[in-house]
Order: sequence, then C-alpha cells, then structure tokens
Amino acid sequence: MSTIVSLRNVRKEFKGFEALKGVDLDVESGEILVVLGPSGAGKSTMLRTINYLVKPDDGEVYFEGQRLSTATLKELRKVRSKIGFVFQHFNLFSHLNALDNVAIGRVKVKGESWESARKQAMKYLEKVGLTDKAYNYPAQLSGGQKQRVAIARALAMEPDVLLFDEPTSALDPSLVGEVLKVMKSLALEGRTMIVVTHEMGFAKSVATRIVYMENGQVVEESSPQQFFTFPESDGARRFINSILERV
Amino acid sequence: MRALEMRGENISLSRKQFKMNQNVKRIVRKIFTAAGIVLLAAIFYLAIAKVYPFNWGVVARYKSMFLKGLLITFQVSAVSILISFGLGLIFSIMKTSKIEFFKDIASIYVWIFRNTPLLVVILLTYYGVGTIFNLNRFWAAVLALSLFEGAYMTEIIRSGIEAVDPGEIEAAHSLGMTNSQIFLSIVFPQAIRISLPPLIGQMISLVKDSSLASVIALGELTMMGRQVGTSSFATFESYIVVAFIYIMLTSVLSILGRYLERRMSLA
Repeated sequence: MSTIVSLRNVRKEFKGFEALKGVDLDVESGEILVVLGPSGAGKSTMLRTINYLVKPDDGEVYFEGQRLSTATLKELRKVRSKIGFVFQHFNLFSHLNALDNVAIGRVKVKGESWESARKQAMKYLEKVGLTDKAYNYPAQLSGGQKQRVAIARALAMEPDVLLFDEPTSALDPSLVGEVLKVMKSLALEGRTMIVVTHEMGFAKSVATRIVYMENGQVVEESSPQQFFTFPESDGARRFINSILERV
Repeated sequence: MRALEMRGENISLSRKQFKMNQNVKRIVRKIFTAAGIVLLAAIFYLAIAKVYPFNWGVVARYKSMFLKGLLITFQVSAVSILISFGLGLIFSIMKTSKIEFFKDIASIYVWIFRNTPLLVVILLTYYGVGTIFNLNRFWAAVLALSLFEGAYMTEIIRSGIEAVDPGEIEAAHSLGMTNSQIFLSIVFPQAIRISLPPLIGQMISLVKDSSLASVIALGELTMMGRQVGTSSFATFESYIVVAFIYIMLTSVLSILGRYLERRMSLA
C-alpha cells in the first residue's frame, strides 16, 4: 500500500474564522476513509484542500508524493484530473445533457474526441445505472439521478482517488439509497475513497477507517468498530449519542 | 371492470374536449379584442379625417424613399447590433475578470455611455470625432449607436456571466480544466442563454434609437419620413407609415429572439 494523499499541519482561515487548525492526515491507496464530525468542523474545507479547490494558508498537501504548494498551474490541473470530486449540490453543467456532462472532462482535459469520449461516458453512465437518462438535461433529473451522473462524471476521468463531499445531504430521504448503493459498489471495486458524510450506516459498513473532526482539527482516528463502540474522545461520544438519539 | 375502463375513457375524452373548448374560447376572445381595437382605431381615424384630410395617394408615390430609408435603417442597425454585441462581450468579460485594471476600464466605459444621452453621443461622434477622422454620416451613426448600446449590452452579459452557478465552475476546476476552457465551454454558453431575452430587447431598442441619427441628416427611415412629409404636405400619413415600418422591423427581431430562445432552451 502506498500513501496517496498526505496533509501536514494544514491551516485555513476564512475572514477570521479558523476552519482548519493544523490538520495532519495520511490516506493509503485502497482505503475507504469516512470523515465524520459536527457541521463547521472543517470536514468540507479539509476535503477541498486535497485538490486545492481551497488553497491552505499554511502547511503542505501532498498528492502521490507531489507537493502541491510548489506545483505549477499545469501540474495542479494534472493532479486535479486524477482526483474525482463529488459535490453536495451535484454541480452538474446545466447546459449539457447527462452524457456530455460525463464526457466533457475527457474531451477538454484528456484531449479525446467527443465521439470516443461519449462512447466511454456511456459506459460510466451504465455503471451508475443511468443509460436511459443519457440525453436528459440535469433539470430533468431527480436529485439522486443528478448525483449518480456527477459520480459518473468523476469516474470518467479514471481518477486515483474519489472525494465525496456530503453526497447525500441535499437529497430527498427516499433518494439517498440509490446513491449510497453506487458508492458501495465503488468501494467494493477497491477504489480509494474519502467520504465526508452523515450517513452512519455507510460509515459503519463500508469505511475501512473513520476520521473524526471537530473545530478544525482531527480529534480521533480509528476503525469503524472501535469508533462506534468505544469512542475515545468526549466529542466523538457526544456526536455518536446525538445521532443515536435522533431516532 | 369493463365499465370502469369505459368510464376512464370518457373522463379523458371530456378532459380533451374541455381543453379544446378552452382553446376555442381563447381564440374567440383574441378575435374580439382585435376587432375591438380595429373598431376603435377606425372611429378615431374617421374622427380625425373630419378635420385632417388624409391623402394616402401622395404617400404611395414616395414609396421608393421609404424603402431607401428602411434599407439605411436596416444597415445601420444590423452593423451596430454586431459591433455593440462585440463590445458588450469584450467589456463584460473585462468587467468580470479578476484583473482590477480591466474591471476599471470596463466600468468607466459603461459609466460614460450609460450617462450620456444618445442624441449627444451622435452629435459628438459626427461633429467631433467625425470631423477629425473624416467619418461619414453612416459610420458616425454606427459608431455612436454601437458605443451607446454596447454599454447596456455589457451590463446585460455581465449579469448573465455572474448568474452562472459558481458550483459548476468549481466542478470544472475539479476535472482539471483550464480557466479559458471553463469560460468558453461552461460559463459563456450559459451566460448567453441567460442574457438572450434582455439582449434581444436591447437590440430592439437599438433599431428604434437609430431614428435619432436623422439629426445628422443620415437618410434613414425617420429622416426620409420627414422629407416625404415636408415635400408632400402629408406629414401625418408619412409618419404613420414610418411608425408602421419600425414596428414590422422590430417584430421580426422579437420573433427571431423567441425562436433562438426556444432553440437554446434546455430540452
């Protein structure tokens, strides 16, 4: 196993609010890392520093050994193309149909022709079970379908790691299942995934490791069994209880 | 079971009929409205005709002058629409860029031309810039109209660019696309689609505003209308014809706009 992502003492401040207060993290290839924590803990910000959508104020991010703070724009784009990112609000290109949403990355970034990119894109749509919606525009899709197209879009770049930023938080409860199912199948393929989520069931059954964050810091790292049965920190205990009580 | 099915059929049939009835009613209502307006206009016309002797024969004799005016108005408008759209594109991109200098330039351009009356801009380009650079009436009018309407188009396209979801831009970055790729294939197509209706409106304004070019004696439609009026003494008739031609010209633009809108609408 090789380390694919490393964060070293990463800090980020937004207008006086310290979102990240020195985060260290290593992710091995093949891991399914689930990041948990209350809102405002810095989970999304941390995820965004990995592909430099958020540039840290201090500290270092390494992707496959490459230091991003000294990377040129071109190198940075190359890195980003190897990191699939799935957003909470899908962020599909609303003027393109599902197929072209998936294909455009291959065309623009990999220099493929539209024809062959669309052929490939169809395979990825098949993977998320949406070939019948290939020519629908995002506005004609349900939230769950949109998110599955967004996953296909990320997969089409053949990334080395997939980042998920609360992929089911904006969904109708009845549509969460179809997205989690796709994510589970990806996990079973042995892909490296970093998932910020509030889906405890997914964290318990799919994660290989849990990272618990609070106030811009990683507070606890452990296996899912240990995390959910014997959380070490008070914060994690409170967090788990608050979620259990919600039922 | 069968009875149920039949009932279902009946319901859908009656619903269809209901919808058809609604449509027929709508059309009848429109016909009544149109007839009412025609009637009102006719009454108005006859009332005026009592004190003003309409003489349409004279106007018909000057047909070629109206056509010449229409041609010039069409040419000035068409060229100005192209140039002002180009200016709008360039300055809106400058205005939304991250470079402060470009932003300032674009803001000053918009500020100047949105705060000067078009009539003054036309006079300035013809009697000022025109005398220095030897611009003829046509190009002076084109320059003035383009600069003036371009400022409005800048603001329209700018708001279109800013209306594109920042999340989509972030997603494009996450795929590894370059800034220019993101602008050209994600931001720009959506910005144009969003700003199309107000852009068409601005182009219609441009066609109408081109009548102001008559002050520098450019032989466009309004100018020709005035000439016909003064030489035939049928002033009223002549201006009615002019107004009618403007309405036709701008209507073509709105129909074109509606067609484009439908074509660019998402599925």
